[in-house]
Amino acid sequence: MKKTEFLTRLKEELEFESNLEINTNIKELDDWDSMAAMVLIGFVSDEFGITLNADDIAAITTIESLIQKIGQDKFN
Amino acid sequence: MGAIIKGIEYVYPERKITNQDLTNDYPDYDFSKFEDKVGIKNRYWVRDNETALDLAKKACDMLFEKHSKQKIDYILYCTQSPEYFLPTTACILQDYLKINKNTGALDFNLGCSGFVYGLSLAKGLINSGQAKNILLVTAETYSKYIHPKDRSNRAIFGDAAAATLITYDSKEYIGEFLFGTDGSGYDKLIVKNGCSNPLELVPNEITYGTNNMYTDNHLYMNGPEVFNFTNEVIPNFTKEVIAKNEIEFENVNQFVFHQANAFMLNFMRKKLKIELDKFFIDLEDGGNTVSCTIPIALKKYSLNIEEDKLETIALIGFGVGLSWSGGIISIKHKL
Repeated sequence: MKKTEFLTRLKEELEFESNLEINTNIKELDDWDSMAAMVLIGFVSDEFGITLNADDIAAITTIESLIQKIGQDKFN
Repeated sequence: MGAIIKGIEYVYPERKITNQDLTNDYPDYDFSKFEDKVGIKNRYWVRDNETALDLAKKACDMLFEKHSKQKIDYILYCTQSPEYFLPTTACILQDYLKINKNTGALDFNLGCSGFVYGLSLAKGLINSGQAKNILLVTAETYSKYIHPKDRSNRAIFGDAAAATLITYDSKEYIGEFLFGTDGSGYDKLIVKNGCSNPLELVPNEITYGTNNMYTDNHLYMNGPEVFNFTNEVIPNFTKEVIAKNEIEFENVNQFVFHQANAFMLNFMRKKLKIELDKFFIDLEDGGNTVSCTIPIALKKYSLNIEEDKLETIALIGFGVGLSWSGGIISIKHKL
């Protein structure tokens, strides 16, 4: 998946109000909550077959850090 | 010889908590998205002086308005909100209901997998000739365990009790069951203090998730881990339950899973490629009532079936323990 597409899809899936940039810290968004975390886990599992655990969720800050967690090789 | 579910009745406490009420408590949080995704509009919480046993009594009274209690010879009481450490809550219920003294009565401690466990125990008691008319009660008041500042769990969990009558029958309406246990996840959903670990007088307040708070005296749920466990284990487990019963997937009229939250249920539904109309999702009024969600869902579903048309229903419970259970039942009347 292209990173730009990932940003758009993520915004859609998580129903975030604001646009996402690669260095947006999702934890600082008003829309971030435990429900968003659940939706994120579901989205990443569906799209990439990767399971984010509670530690991963705790560690994520920027979208870039999320991409690294998923694996750079999944993006082009 | 076989076993059949004759009837189900359930009650919620009178105190209804709407999402608007929660918005008043947590003004910084927008509950509209929660309502949309998790699918809960209201939940009901007991008052301080009200217990799970009080709810159970009401549900049983309703059940015995429609069915005789004269022949009840076993009470199975599923709860994680027992009235006392001892005695057994089922014994108190026997006395309240004035059920014959030559009855068996026991409590068992399970959460969201509890109702399906109860059905399998009831079937076992009946088919082994140990009992003929079984009262299965699930009663839960998690609201008492949740920290006032734990917004997420307060929004999800509601209190309830359900009473189910299972009796012997010349035909078998309760199929085969499968079970699963992974105690390594015991601390994913837990109330640490209050049993063998005494309640702390000044417990440490811990912030978790997104600005939720709990102490070891309160309920803690590791949401992501419970979500992942469910999604990794339950879809395949569902297939195994169907296979164990030697039926085809498409011959199941309705899948009734534990009503944990609508997003998670839909996530599993899509994974299993089950059509919307064959998959029960209704948490709007009541929320996640732990071991009560399946009997409540089953009752609601049965109210819309055609009389005398046999319906095959898959029941799947999963959660705290970690513990899961599944089985197939048939119904042909409104419960």
